[in-house]
Amino acid sequence: MSKPNFKHLNLRHPYLLALGLLIVAVLVNAYLQPNLFEGRVLNSNLRTFLPLMILAVGQTIVIIAGGIDLSVGAMVSLTSAVLVTNMQPDSPPGHILLVILLALGVGMAAGALNGLAVAFLRLQPIVTTYATSFIFAGLALWVLPRPGGVMPIEFARAYRRTMPLGLPLGFYVAALIILIWVFLRRTRFGNYLFAVGGQPASAYATGVPVNLIRFSTYVIMGLMAAFSALALTLMTSSGDPRMGDAMTLDSIVAVVLGGTRLSGGQGGVAGSIMGVIILGLIRNIISFANVPTWWQTLVDALIIIVALAAPGAVRLLRRRLTT
Amino acid sequence: MNVSLSARNIVKHFGGVTALSDGNLDVSSGTVVALLGANGSGKSTLAKIITGVLEPDGGGIELDGRPVRFTSPQAAMQQGIAAVYQELSLIPDMTVTENIWLGHEPLRWGVRVNRRVLLQRTEALLDLFRGAFQPTLEPDAPVASLPPDEKQIVEILKAISREPRLMILDEATASLDSRQVQRLFELMTTWKQQGMALVFVSHRMDEIFRVADQAVVLRNGATAGALPMADASERKLVSLMVGVEARSPATVVGAETVQRRAETSARIRLATRDLAADRLHEVNFTVHDGELVGLGGLRGQGQEELLLALFGAIPFHGKIILDDEPVHFAHPRDAMERGVAYVPGERAAQGLLLIRSILENLQLPSWARYGAILDMREARSDAQRISDDLSLVMASLDAPVESLSGGNAQKVVLGKWLLREPTLLLLNDPTKGVDVGTKAEFYQKLTELRNDGAAILFYSSDDDELLGLCDRVLVMQDGHIRAELQGDDLTRANLVAASMGAPQENQAQPNHAQSDVQEAA
Repeated sequence: MSKPNFKHLNLRHPYLLALGLLIVAVLVNAYLQPNLFEGRVLNSNLRTFLPLMILAVGQTIVIIAGGIDLSVGAMVSLTSAVLVTNMQPDSPPGHILLVILLALGVGMAAGALNGLAVAFLRLQPIVTTYATSFIFAGLALWVLPRPGGVMPIEFARAYRRTMPLGLPLGFYVAALIILIWVFLRRTRFGNYLFAVGGQPASAYATGVPVNLIRFSTYVIMGLMAAFSALALTLMTSSGDPRMGDAMTLDSIVAVVLGGTRLSGGQGGVAGSIMGVIILGLIRNIISFANVPTWWQTLVDALIIIVALAAPGAVRLLRRRLTT
Repeated sequence: MNVSLSARNIVKHFGGVTALSDGNLDVSSGTVVALLGANGSGKSTLAKIITGVLEPDGGGIELDGRPVRFTSPQAAMQQGIAAVYQELSLIPDMTVTENIWLGHEPLRWGVRVNRRVLLQRTEALLDLFRGAFQPTLEPDAPVASLPPDEKQIVEILKAISREPRLMILDEATASLDSRQVQRLFELMTTWKQQGMALVFVSHRMDEIFRVADQAVVLRNGATAGALPMADASERKLVSLMVGVEARSPATVVGAETVQRRAETSARIRLATRDLAADRLHEVNFTVHDGELVGLGGLRGQGQEELLLALFGAIPFHGKIILDDEPVHFAHPRDAMERGVAYVPGERAAQGLLLIRSILENLQLPSWARYGAILDMREARSDAQRISDDLSLVMASLDAPVESLSGGNAQKVVLGKWLLREPTLLLLNDPTKGVDVGTKAEFYQKLTELRNDGAAILFYSSDDDELLGLCDRVLVMQDGHIRAELQGDDLTRANLVAASMGAPQENQAQPNHAQSDVQEAA
């Protein structure tokens, strides 16, 4: 009976592992950096984590529905290039809003391109989104050939300094995302996501619009990439046509750390948010421990390999034990 | 709730194969129609056309007297048609409740799933089968954690939750125990009285007589007869399923080439005792040297599992005795070392490396024989010998396997095992999608191998092959060997009757299997 019970537990609480790792990471980090919980440090940390957090949430939704998106970094680069090239240091609020809407639209259009190829043309998600990532990266260079551009000074300052009720802005964004997710999880769309990722043929036979759901996850991903670019660009206050490139792998690592299954049909957004925080804290630890930064890349890669190998290793172990 | 559905002259092709040439079925409120037929007669295809999973190539469906055309399962569902599938339509990682209500969840404010109502309704549905399942079947249990019978119950509840006017049950009783079947039949009677129309596809003759009001019999893709059950007898249904057909190449080869083995004096190559695996229960039988034993029955009754267990490809319990020696293969490699070969049915997926050359495919299991640095000349001459032997039609040994026709590709699968000179050959429905001429050559080769002393266990979904080629046929149903047919008992009618669990016409049932095992042990 213990086996199904464990499975039961794991299905209902896929982020237990992430929670454990998070606690360990916080403790180690707090030991190395005693002022970790001071408002200013907390704000700066969360602000640093926020772009990846938003991106990982989108990636989670795509992966739950059985896909994957390797173009997210390039989409961030592209939308941030669109943002900085259209902003002036003294843009009025109306103009700022318009440019943000433009960037969100560009993100969604990029996502829709991925969605069309994957859902309706039935192309392999990994190959397709890897290919489109070059399209988006190329467009980003076309829009913004070299690093530069600005964000409106007042707007960026306000973003950096606002701490409602003494808590950093990033905290509220994360909370809002989780609230939306909890709501979504209880809608028909939420059920469809898991059905499409879990067993597409069964979902089809049950009358679930499989292609439409797949398509929509990529559009949501594009929207989240644009929001992520906004958070990133407000933090740096200037643009770089390659600023998102490194975020693709990180977004997938965060999803895996958060307990979402890479083959789809299982997982949740809360785990991925924890995954992002764990990654960020590991990064802090590495910098405080005076370890070369390339360790970070190694850690990222190892997490993915371990996550991919774990189910097979467990099965093998179980078979060894039973025979 | 009044409904009548009439499918007329339905035609469906898959590539060059005609699955249905003239399918007809009428069903209306308050009746249970049993849909029956032998392998490949088109039962499942007809069921899938009615539920919108497949679109017909010809013919039409009338619902309540109006012509309809279903382009998707949703379209059929909207008209009140629901289906219980044998290859379940459940999502393993979702809970029982989520699965049952997927796509028609009760909503609050039009968006949010109403958990309270959902739970109440799920409990109410579970009450239908209450007492016939384990207490672990709860609304919140993930479907992946349930045993097969409870998954099937969830699948049935999922269909009924849509309150259909017409429900199709495709082999829905296959994994249920007798108590659960009893409950299902009681429910079907209730639903029938409430005006539902039911189509019941089953391979169990006794169930058909218990529950059906009418029978529709398919044969070779056409409706061979429709009759009220009151006028039906097992013999009558079987004769409708069998019909009178021309002799197929398999029958011809068998009749012309050799006499069937008369006596069983040869030594026993293989014996099993209480062999059991997933979907396989207490199987006992023997195969002698120089004997070609057929495995029959409807598809998916444990034949593949039996062959895979013998080949060490799936875990099993019980005893396998090979050459008077108990063996327990944990890996196909172990079986291969003992002279066992397995020719899979899905040749593209399991038998061949399609883009690689014929030479490589033929030699794949045998490279170890050609030294650390491969003696290519010898490998090539061996491959040439076997391909000549099988009269393989090919451009050269270096051509990719995908350039071959289906029949020649299947010869490569056989040839790669023949190179190892197996003493026990296991064949899993090897002639699917093979043209008639190549089939005849294939049969010829099998007969030769048998005459040279190999023991062959041959599963086929084509009754003609079993009748024409085999010395003895074991008929399987629900993972058991239901009958052993040989000599004069090996007739088409007996084969079909045994595969449906009906008694045979000549009740001569010597149980060689049991006594042989004792000899061997």
